[in-house]
Amino acid sequence: MSDTLTEIRESVSLDVPWNVVVHDDPVNLMGYVTWVLMKIFGYPENRAAAMMLEVHKRGRSIVWSGDREKSEFYAQQLQAHQLKTSLEKAE
Amino acid sequence: MKVAPVLKGGLRIDVESSMDWMVLRCIPYDARGGGLDLADRVSAPMSGDEGIEDWRDYVLPDLRDDFNAQLAAIEAAVDTAGGDDEPAELFISKEDAELWYGGLNQARLALEERYDLSNAVLAEMTPGKRSAWFRSQFYLHVQSLLLTHVMR
Repeated sequence: MSDTLTEIRESVSLDVPWNVVVHDDPVNLMGYVTWVLMKIFGYPENRAAAMMLEVHKRGRSIVWSGDREKSEFYAQQLQAHQLKTSLEKAE
Repeated sequence: MKVAPVLKGGLRIDVESSMDWMVLRCIPYDARGGGLDLADRVSAPMSGDEGIEDWRDYVLPDLRDDFNAQLAAIEAAVDTAGGDDEPAELFISKEDAELWYGGLNQARLALEERYDLSNAVLAEMTPGKRSAWFRSQFYLHVQSLLLTHVMR
């Protein structure tokens, strides 16, 4: 009869934050993008408008960063409002 | 056709002719035309991500249901208000404003994908494309009124 030796190794690392990214689109109105960011994230209008302008000028903007589960929830919400959205690991 | 905000917080569309009814009935028709899958479109920037298969399996079906529900609700509202093609009023309540905005957005997206309207010159358009451009401009106008006077 042979004995089985089980070795347990613990590995702990910090959770990497995830970015929620909104991408530019030729059809969505600028005012609508601002309104959606205010509605979903509760941002004040000036902050939401600044993010909208970044989307418009640079083609994309990171609109939220945090844990993966919440970032997936927000990405789904943005896509439900017909905004092109992706997730990426924060650098 | 006249479209204007009302005091209680929605929009009223005065539909004056059978042509007006036709334009309103074109909203779901345009949105479904061209084979555009909007759920795929809004998630396209994720297409190279490792979790995209799960996203396609668990998230996109719900998005498709939401988008289809917007079009079905608009279709039902237009059918209820304009069954006989006579002049009538169609109200968009504050509660339904987002739904209408979304449906109109779907129609504009589909027309843009199909006709590339933002890069087209009106004078050089074929009759079919010109008609699509006018409908897109009408949808945009209603969206702007909804956003400015009802949703905000």
